[in-house]
Amino acid sequence: MSTAVAPDVEPLVAAAPVRRIALIGNPNTGKTTLFNVLCGARAKTSNFPGTTTSVRTGRAEAAGTLPALEVLDLPGVYDLDFEAPEALIATTALAGGRQPAPDAVVVIADACNLSRNLVLAAQLLARGTRIVLALNMVDLAGRRGIVIDVPRLSQRLGVPVIPLVARSGRGVDDLRRALDTERAVRPADLPPANAAAHDASEWAHAVATSVTSGSDPALSLDRVTERMDYILTHPVFGLAAFMGIMGTLFWILFALATVPMDLIETTFAQLGQLVERTLPDGPVRDLVAQGIVGGIAGTVVFLPQICLLFFLITLLEDTGYLARAAFVMDRLLARFGLPGHAFVPLLTSHACALPGIMSTRLIPDRRDRLATILVAPFMSCSARLPVYVLLTTLLFAGHPAAAGLVFAGCYLLGAGAALFTAKLFGSTILKGRPRPMILELPSYKRPSVRNALLTARDQGLAFLTTAGTVIVAICIVMWWLSAYPHVDTPARAVELRSAATAVGLAPEQAEALRADADAVQTRASQIGSFAGRIGHTLEPAFRPLGFDWQLTVGVLTSFLAREVFVSTMSVLAAGQAATDVDEGVVTRIRSMTRDDGTPVFTPATAASALVFFVLAMQCLPTLTVTRKETGSVKYAALQLFYMTGLAYVAAFLLYQGLRASGVA
Amino acid sequence: MPSRTPSPAPAIDFPAVPLTSVPVGAVATLHEVRDAESRTLLRSLGLHDACVMRLCKVGDPCIVQVRATRIGLSSAVARCLYVVPEADVKK
Repeated sequence: MSTAVAPDVEPLVAAAPVRRIALIGNPNTGKTTLFNVLCGARAKTSNFPGTTTSVRTGRAEAAGTLPALEVLDLPGVYDLDFEAPEALIATTALAGGRQPAPDAVVVIADACNLSRNLVLAAQLLARGTRIVLALNMVDLAGRRGIVIDVPRLSQRLGVPVIPLVARSGRGVDDLRRALDTERAVRPADLPPANAAAHDASEWAHAVATSVTSGSDPALSLDRVTERMDYILTHPVFGLAAFMGIMGTLFWILFALATVPMDLIETTFAQLGQLVERTLPDGPVRDLVAQGIVGGIAGTVVFLPQICLLFFLITLLEDTGYLARAAFVMDRLLARFGLPGHAFVPLLTSHACALPGIMSTRLIPDRRDRLATILVAPFMSCSARLPVYVLLTTLLFAGHPAAAGLVFAGCYLLGAGAALFTAKLFGSTILKGRPRPMILELPSYKRPSVRNALLTARDQGLAFLTTAGTVIVAICIVMWWLSAYPHVDTPARAVELRSAATAVGLAPEQAEALRADADAVQTRASQIGSFAGRIGHTLEPAFRPLGFDWQLTVGVLTSFLAREVFVSTMSVLAAGQAATDVDEGVVTRIRSMTRDDGTPVFTPATAASALVFFVLAMQCLPTLTVTRKETGSVKYAALQLFYMTGLAYVAAFLLYQGLRASGVA
Repeated sequence: MPSRTPSPAPAIDFPAVPLTSVPVGAVATLHEVRDAESRTLLRSLGLHDACVMRLCKVGDPCIVQVRATRIGLSSAVARCLYVVPEADVKK
């Protein structure tokens, strides 16, 4: 591989305080990896075409004393004239829409696939755009025996050409320097902007052929790739590999995430105790210890699973496997009216539906995209986990194997409901069949741990800033609703406390009487609180599902974010916020009683609540994203009413069926 | 299945056959895409008229290689690609 070539021409925008640089390229060329190297972080790289679905910006240092760079990471595009969302986003950004047009454009090309990548460069040159060609993955090309004459390529294109390895940062400084010297000398034989695709492709191929020696890129793919593709897309072997890989992924997820989750729970529990010891008794202490600390704990506790899932998915994407997995899933999903493209959004939705729905932008057909958006929230996201843990533990105390099976069944129920719904919508409101898949199969590559870590961090931060703020706010509101208005101390509590002060009473007996008095007062406070009144008012609607007013309050508060259910029930159970599902919380919630003294959580009620939480739409941020991504409030409304209606009917049938079968 | 509008094929000296009927390993020239909805995406991936491809795998997905790009195609799409196998051209 030859060295960098940066022709000596005049700086383009010497005096500008910040230079805007746009990165553009075909999918899988390492564009976002380069963005990460230039800016230090904040973007997701992908081996699955189209994952970068919007323009991202970051700041980067320029070479020497040159102005700082503002870098735009554009979606991966094959063809600027292709009528697809990513091409429209890219062309709008290049033309200067809401923001100024970039001062320079870096076209990232895969050195192993030069001829196809040069088509995009040809389109930009034909439009008169000043570009620098970043020839990425030259290390991989070298290993395949592909030799590119970089000076000749630069001369042929009339632009600087910088060989680099974005993954390791090699050549990036050369690129920084070249950004100040870009030129645009239109090649004499370049087809015009309105030329047929065939002409641009042939020109790109002629240029690539004239500068490439060694192995023919078209024949350089080794037998290993052929064999791996045969196995990984095979109807039987491919499905077995898919199940093995996904099973391993979820096993790692659950095995590894529990350690940091336990640590977070312990830390916040100690923080709450510290607040209670430090602050004077009163509403401010209660608000901070129970509302704010409890609310933040209830949010942060999900971070390990979300970050870990995105880390693992990004590693898988980087290897090139997910494109193959999409074809394996295409055979199954197509039967239910979903495209194979839906696989990645549905997988992502197991961490959080928000990024899952946003990643549907990679689905080219609008009908297919709508179908995927509408069913994605059925996937069991991280927010459902504490609810599953709580209810399965209540259902099968002392039988962890049974609890584990039911836990897994919740995931299957969610996935089954998604497929059923896709089939239903596909034959009614979204008539039609999914478009057959056409997908580039990227080269198999060693995944980048750095990129995976950056992606995990980005998604974790996104979760904290979107869902997290909602959850904390709800916890604070829930605390206020359950703590106010203050009710007068019940006469029974006064009597018990008076009896506890009687002369000659043993200390243990006095303590027991005071505990009874506290319980009576807490109960009266709950019933008289705003939450208690709301729960009592709406209880009749949920009574057919076996829910009393307390469970009704839990369902209502978790409408905005379902993970609030555990902390709500904990608040109602003991008048004390606790967001961890440790033994104490489970015991407390299990001991909750209805107004008639019977347990709140019978087996039938717990099963009914579990099914309700698997199927119901209880996430305001998801509805917001659905409205935004579909461009219509009607799809968000459909999602809300359909999912919640289905959850109600399923929970009703299960509860009444169990009761009829003699299960209390 | 989305509608597939057949487009008039240019006259050729050799019979074009569906991609699905070509043996694995064969090299063929794309003659016609009888799937109007997929044509633009195929073209952007390098599968334009007269491009030369190698069939890497048959079935679902069908995998072809165009220059250095490997492309997976649902069998429904592969059936709509009419190609002229290289052996025919050389006859």
